[in-house]
Amino acid sequence: MFRALPMLRVKLWCLASEAQDMALLLARHGVFNPAAEADAPLPAEPGSEYREVFEEAEARMAKIVGYCGLGELPPIPADAIAPNLRELRGINGRLREIWQDCSASQENELRVADERKRLATLEATYAHLKGLDVDLSRLLGAGSLLDAHIGQVAIVNVGRLRDSLALAGQVMTVFDRDGEHVYAVVAGPRGETELGGLLAQAGWRELPLPPELQTHPEAAGRYLAAERQRLDALAGGYCETRAQKHAQYADWLKQARILLMLARPLAEAACDGLRGQGHLHLFSGWAPRRDLPRLQAGLEARFQGRYLLQWREPEAGERVPSLLHHPAWLRPFAALVTGYGVPRYGEFDPTLLFAVTYVLLFGAMFGDVGHGAVLLLLFFGLRRRLGGLARVGIWASLASIGFGVLYGSVFGYEEWLHPVWLSPMHDPGHLLRLAVYAGVAFMAVTLLIHAGNRFAEGRPGVALFAPAGLAGLVFYLAMVAGLDAWFRGAGFPLVAGLTAVGALALAAAHVWIETRAPFGERLLVTFIESFEAAIGLFANTLSFLRVAAFSLNHVALALAVFTLASGMQGVGYGLTLVLGNVVIIVLEGAIVAIQALRLMYYEGFSRFFIADGVEFKPLRLEGRPGV
Amino acid sequence: MSSYLNTRVSLFRQRLWQDADFDALIGAPAEEVPAALDERQLALLAIGFGGDAPLSLEGRIIAELLRETRILVRPLRGEARRFIVYWTERFEISNLKTLIRAKMAGERSAAVADRLIDMGPFSRLDLDTLSHVEDVGELLRRLESSPYGGIVRNARRAFEQGHDPFILDATLDRSYFEALVRTARPLRDTAGEGFGELMRCLIDRVNLVWLLRYRFNYGLPPAQVYYLLVASPFGMAPDTLRRLVTRADLAGVLDELPPRLGRALAGCSDIVELFARLERELARRAHAMLRGGGHALTRAFAYLILREYDLRGVRAVLRGRQLGLPLTSIRQALGRPPAMQGVGGG
Repeated sequence: MFRALPMLRVKLWCLASEAQDMALLLARHGVFNPAAEADAPLPAEPGSEYREVFEEAEARMAKIVGYCGLGELPPIPADAIAPNLRELRGINGRLREIWQDCSASQENELRVADERKRLATLEATYAHLKGLDVDLSRLLGAGSLLDAHIGQVAIVNVGRLRDSLALAGQVMTVFDRDGEHVYAVVAGPRGETELGGLLAQAGWRELPLPPELQTHPEAAGRYLAAERQRLDALAGGYCETRAQKHAQYADWLKQARILLMLARPLAEAACDGLRGQGHLHLFSGWAPRRDLPRLQAGLEARFQGRYLLQWREPEAGERVPSLLHHPAWLRPFAALVTGYGVPRYGEFDPTLLFAVTYVLLFGAMFGDVGHGAVLLLLFFGLRRRLGGLARVGIWASLASIGFGVLYGSVFGYEEWLHPVWLSPMHDPGHLLRLAVYAGVAFMAVTLLIHAGNRFAEGRPGVALFAPAGLAGLVFYLAMVAGLDAWFRGAGFPLVAGLTAVGALALAAAHVWIETRAPFGERLLVTFIESFEAAIGLFANTLSFLRVAAFSLNHVALALAVFTLASGMQGVGYGLTLVLGNVVIIVLEGAIVAIQALRLMYYEGFSRFFIADGVEFKPLRLEGRPGV
Repeated sequence: MSSYLNTRVSLFRQRLWQDADFDALIGAPAEEVPAALDERQLALLAIGFGGDAPLSLEGRIIAELLRETRILVRPLRGEARRFIVYWTERFEISNLKTLIRAKMAGERSAAVADRLIDMGPFSRLDLDTLSHVEDVGELLRRLESSPYGGIVRNARRAFEQGHDPFILDATLDRSYFEALVRTARPLRDTAGEGFGELMRCLIDRVNLVWLLRYRFNYGLPPAQVYYLLVASPFGMAPDTLRRLVTRADLAGVLDELPPRLGRALAGCSDIVELFARLERELARRAHAMLRGGGHALTRAFAYLILREYDLRGVRAVLRGRQLGLPLTSIRQALGRPPAMQGVGGG
């Protein structure tokens, strides 16, 4: 539970003709994470074409499904086999044909949508053109003395285009605006300048003004109405086409979809970890030690000796994927931990520490039997909708109830229940001191874990001398002991001071040695990093004051609600109490949840958790497995 | 934060190359080149020296620039941060162009993916999805809903009119620089005169080179050339640009230039030489900004300009050596004056 599962580096040799079945078997077992070998014994990358065809087919499938839908897939039969390259090419080719067929319809739909939009604009524009009182047949007709264009251009291009047109002796007049575009007339002496290039550059879109629009306004109106009717009919027709395409292709697409699911494992393995030569293929990757016997049994049952499985322990410096295993109750917390990062292979997995500390911090900051019970009911009721988050909430609510019993608080009332431990408001100084002590303990644990992680990585120098290692821990504890004595009036003990200075000097020397940079940069980095590490430890410790502050805040908010309510009578009194408590539960509950998370991430994880591990991502079979 | 950034830039400044460093790299025996690059914190370039494709070298130069930009951008916030981040996005615009050209040529998705620059944390595009689209139309439609929607929308409309790749490229470039200018505009008052001067040099260089290329190499009419230039409060005024586009030849354009540019470019006989002189002028100004102790953002921007200038110089040397060119030709291609007269990098 405190480390990723032990992994083995695995090499699996098989016949090239059985590579796709091998990948499928590995995916069905879900315990093989493909990873390239640094010195691959076989030179070729045989799966690259398979992968390329697969990706093309996948992209086409997604577009087709996006256009005409697919419906629910049947389960994948247990004895289904993956397509080979020739079959995959066939699927891809068929998908290309289907997409060409569908894309033509989709393009038509888009064109009609465009046309409808432009028609709507045309109707509005024509109303403006009428307002201009311009006879368009004269302006645009063959006998006109002007070379005129009517069109649409982006508003941001207008100034620039107008200046450019002036250089060519042309005038531009804007007569309408539609969102980000304007409608304009560009006119100049006929036949003097070729404007095509300039107008194209500006994204000028010529406004199609068919002859019907250039005649009498009434005739133009009739034309527009007819055009609308035509486009509506076309759009209706395309909807039917879409449904027809679905009916025509859905069955084949479902089969193809399943074949692509079966092909995915080899395509994924081809990306990383598949090599070959001649009739031999090699899958390289990682598998958990505990699952190897099961995998071997599966291989034997399917391939009956036509394979060779080799494995070895991970070597120093290898990037090993981390497979974390947690009991069910801890998994929702694991999601919050991996949200920060994945533990490196061999690094301490902080999920359990996170779960316990987070729940305790929440309870300490939001300790109230009544509020905790309401949250408990709320999370229990929403457990299906919230999933894992509800389980985190239930644990936090139970902690809130527990601390409520310790504080003697029920919906802010401190008279109903005698505190088992202490009421926060009655001795805030004591509570603040305890929060700092808790912070010191937490920081010391994080530094120890950091040192342990570095030892596990085989970097004893960092574990011993880095500012976040044992040298940092000695500095920190010496300073804490010294400051504690000083606050108690006994002065700062010389031993504690000398220990702290010595440990800090060691840490600084370590940073100096580890930094590879020119002298000036090295000096700056050493100074800033040592200084930051020293200050950071105490800043992080003081952050824990918020634990006490929020528990006091909780009581203070309840008092404020009572004070407001006591100014009212009858229904007003009850309503204020209920609303006040709702505000406390929702607002303060959310703030406390975030603060507890913040304490864990920034004061805890940032100190010891490198979290740059690689998640164990085995080949898996998508979809529902069949029987 | 500005004092931290200033310190960072001052430390980075030591990485800039002197002309003598280039001379040393040009003259170094082949087996010493990787060590020489490694010594200059260019381990990324040293790894593949000897037998790699030119494109991967370009990719690694950009990776190095992005790595340093990531460090410099850390203490920046707000508009200053937006500006420096946007400055890196021209590499992503070049990815856009690669994708568009590849789709026009009907290339395989896998072949395109190899040529795209890895933008790392600066990446804003889902290149994997984009490289799998069917055609240019679909690509442009998808890009319209990307962070580059504003830039691409103009280009798409222009492209739909003419299906001309030149129009697409030119519109993308112009839209990028106009967006850069918009990002820079709010910084004019806060980042000081030096920042405006750098932007002026940059925009003048872009506008002047484009003007000459479009007008005299491609033979576009003055009105279209003017439209394609970057409209900017930095650099030459619109009236000047309008006068310049109507000139009939390079000499005519040089005669009409404002005095400061006219002096720097006097006697230029072709666009290549003019570009090299403008590059040197920009580098000279950037060096002055670095030395002058101005605003931290300006110094960071100046450093990035100079670092890119240097790394492109290193690329020219490495490529020249790979091609077995004579040392004098490499030195000439570098476009830097001999070491004794050069502008100091440190």
